[in-house]
Amino acid sequence: MADQRILFTKSGTAQYISHLDLMHTMERAFLRAGITIRHTAGFHPHPYVSIPLPLPLGFSSDCEIMEFGLVDGATMETLPQQMTDALPAGIKVLQCYEGGQAFKKLSYVRYDITLEFDAPMAPQAAEAFLALLKRESFVVRKRSKKAKSGFTEVDVIPLVEAVEEVRADGTFLYLTLLLKAQNPGLNPDVLLQGFKAEHPEFPVVYSHCHRREILDDRKKTYR
Amino acid sequence: MDHKLEKILARVQKPGRYVGGEYKAVQKDKAEVDCRFAFCFPDTYEIGMSNLGMRILYGVMNKMPGVWCERVFAPWGDMEDEMRKEGLPLYALESGDPIKDFDIIGFSLGYEMAYTNVLNMLDLADLPLRSADRPGITPLVVAGGTSTYNPEPLAPFVDVVCLGEGEDALPELTNLYRKAKRENWTKDQLLREASRLSGIYVPSLYEVTYGEDGIISAITPKDGAPEKVTKRLVTDMDRSYYPVETIVPSTEITHDRVMLELFRGCIRGCRFCQAGFVYRPVRNRSQELLVQQGIDACKASGYQEMTLLSLSSSDYPDLLPLCDGLLDYCRPNNVSISLPSLRADNFSMELMEKLQAGGRKSGLTFAPEAGSQRLRDAINKNVTEEDLLNTCRTAFAGGWSSVKLYFMLGLPTETDEDVLGIADLATKVYHVWRNNTPNRSRGVRITVSTSCFVPKSHTPFQWEAQNTMEEYMRKVTLLRDNMRNKSITYNWHDPDTSFLEACLSRGDRRLADVIETAWKNGAKFDSWSEYFNFQTWMDAFQTNGLDPAFYANRERGKEEILPWKVISDGVKDSYLWKERKAAYQGVITPDCWEKCSGCGANKLCEGGVCHG
Repeated sequence: MADQRILFTKSGTAQYISHLDLMHTMERAFLRAGITIRHTAGFHPHPYVSIPLPLPLGFSSDCEIMEFGLVDGATMETLPQQMTDALPAGIKVLQCYEGGQAFKKLSYVRYDITLEFDAPMAPQAAEAFLALLKRESFVVRKRSKKAKSGFTEVDVIPLVEAVEEVRADGTFLYLTLLLKAQNPGLNPDVLLQGFKAEHPEFPVVYSHCHRREILDDRKKTYR
Repeated sequence: MDHKLEKILARVQKPGRYVGGEYKAVQKDKAEVDCRFAFCFPDTYEIGMSNLGMRILYGVMNKMPGVWCERVFAPWGDMEDEMRKEGLPLYALESGDPIKDFDIIGFSLGYEMAYTNVLNMLDLADLPLRSADRPGITPLVVAGGTSTYNPEPLAPFVDVVCLGEGEDALPELTNLYRKAKRENWTKDQLLREASRLSGIYVPSLYEVTYGEDGIISAITPKDGAPEKVTKRLVTDMDRSYYPVETIVPSTEITHDRVMLELFRGCIRGCRFCQAGFVYRPVRNRSQELLVQQGIDACKASGYQEMTLLSLSSSDYPDLLPLCDGLLDYCRPNNVSISLPSLRADNFSMELMEKLQAGGRKSGLTFAPEAGSQRLRDAINKNVTEEDLLNTCRTAFAGGWSSVKLYFMLGLPTETDEDVLGIADLATKVYHVWRNNTPNRSRGVRITVSTSCFVPKSHTPFQWEAQNTMEEYMRKVTLLRDNMRNKSITYNWHDPDTSFLEACLSRGDRRLADVIETAWKNGAKFDSWSEYFNFQTWMDAFQTNGLDPAFYANRERGKEEILPWKVISDGVKDSYLWKERKAAYQGVITPDCWEKCSGCGANKLCEGGVCHG
């Protein structure tokens, strides 16, 4: 039997729980809920939980997925409520189901991005932003733990699958983008950094990214 | 969430510690709350959330209908800068509301080096620092915790001090405040009434005068305030509140595990140890209850680690059955148990082996405190060299290969011979390893650490002079030069923090000006090397015309009025003096079980009998 998965949301105060802390939180929540999960085999067995696409700190999401293995007793129908009750504020388990679709099929992420400027300049900023994405190539310097210099360069253009929605409202700019998820994927923050570096005349005072949906290679909802 | 806060959080490190929302954080309906209590811990979230006392009082206060107790921690520098820049006042984690508008602001003070953080937090909350500049009863600023046994350096800042254990005193004080609020009392009226409550000290009701020599000439109570304020304590640990269900932080904290409190107090009576006196008498929790609480706390939290807390766990009478009871649950459920504060004897060693069976061997840590038997007798630290070496023998034979030894330099009566005794002891430990290890090629790590002794109030050494920093460093050099073995690592703490601690722990209320000046010049988080600046403090002493050596390096006379004269932990002054004399004679005092030495703390218990 394949392992099980849950679909959960992460918002509000829970946005500030890092990926690593989230893994611990989940392990403890299973224990608090009295749900036994599969442990890894080997010399130091530990509970198996796996999150295919870690959510960056400060992002919110409607569509996080975590895989684990139910051992005995727990039923998938009652699990979402049991887990939600055992989790901190801002994490809600929506669904528990049998896994199966390979993680590598997770191909696209739909992000809702909010940018706030220090003056009502969102319409102009929107134009500038779109112009950037129309370029043949747009190379952004990003932090890297692997590179010796601490930075690498990435061309974001091939990683932006589609600009689905653009709405400018005074000081706020709202974007919905479909980005490549992995191998390689694009963290929308990198795109925002590129924009900020390219257009310092539009000072961003606040930005927020929200994962609305995850899609497979055929752009169908991934579960 | 407040949009200002959201903006800030994107720019600070570890934002998770500033948002609340953890599992079991208490939310209440404001419509049903008439008293908002801000429980302030003057250090980071990670340190504060590791404090069991805070978790107990958080639970106790939130059990009161109509009272909402929330948590507040000191923001780290980056967060503080952003808050000040954006004009975001200090807020409580549960509601996000500014604490300025709360009814009671309570500070938990565990150590002197947090004092500047108290001022900084009041300032960040947009409140006047001094009690005299806060005319109304709201908010009432309360302080409690171990370092309030000498509350004087903070006297002008706080309105009320809760002495001892707060489980009963804090609700009583809170109810008095609620009455005052309903009946529109003035602050004077509230403070006067508060001073009538048992265990409550109101600093503004005492006038302190000084002689020309700078020594206190009189402490005069006003408005009928009591001559002595005696600490409060829980008499029955089995009926006292223990937070089985408590907040589980979503981010990593310093002590991220179940904390099971075995007992309060300590039977040993080490003469340097403030905790050993101020928590008297010993009060045990029963073994059956502890097993139940430990298991329930694991289930309620999901923690897979548990630590048994007390001042000296080996002295818990049913330690073996307790560990067996816990292991019955913990082993099959993969919960590890750690047992700090063990004495260096073979019983402890066997226990360690049992608890860590199959697991990784952690290092061994012992605190002989002094290098020679003579000095250990003088400080009443009843550990013999034989005990220590025997324990090490068992440990090394069992495969352990790392030992840490903690000592203090500058203890009363110490000679250079005692200092060199440390090197001698460390070398003996090394030879024990050589003769007993199954595998010499793996090597051994013996770490010797020394710190500079800080005389504390309410101990037999409260009259003592601290070694000067120069004298301490001379002893460090002496020890270092005589302990050259590549298997022995020597670490010494810088004496400047200890020097300042000595000033603050036995200081009078004139030090309030020094603390305020230091804070104004940037002092905060003084227990963190990232922030501690010794010069800032020395300048602050100078600015206020006070000599730190007067507080740290001066021996007090028997008749001198000590700044904490009004504060009693139940132990008689005459007993402390007797213990001091015994120290100089090198006479040990038996532990509380062997023979009651009549310290006076038994009077705090019903029937005047210590139980343990």
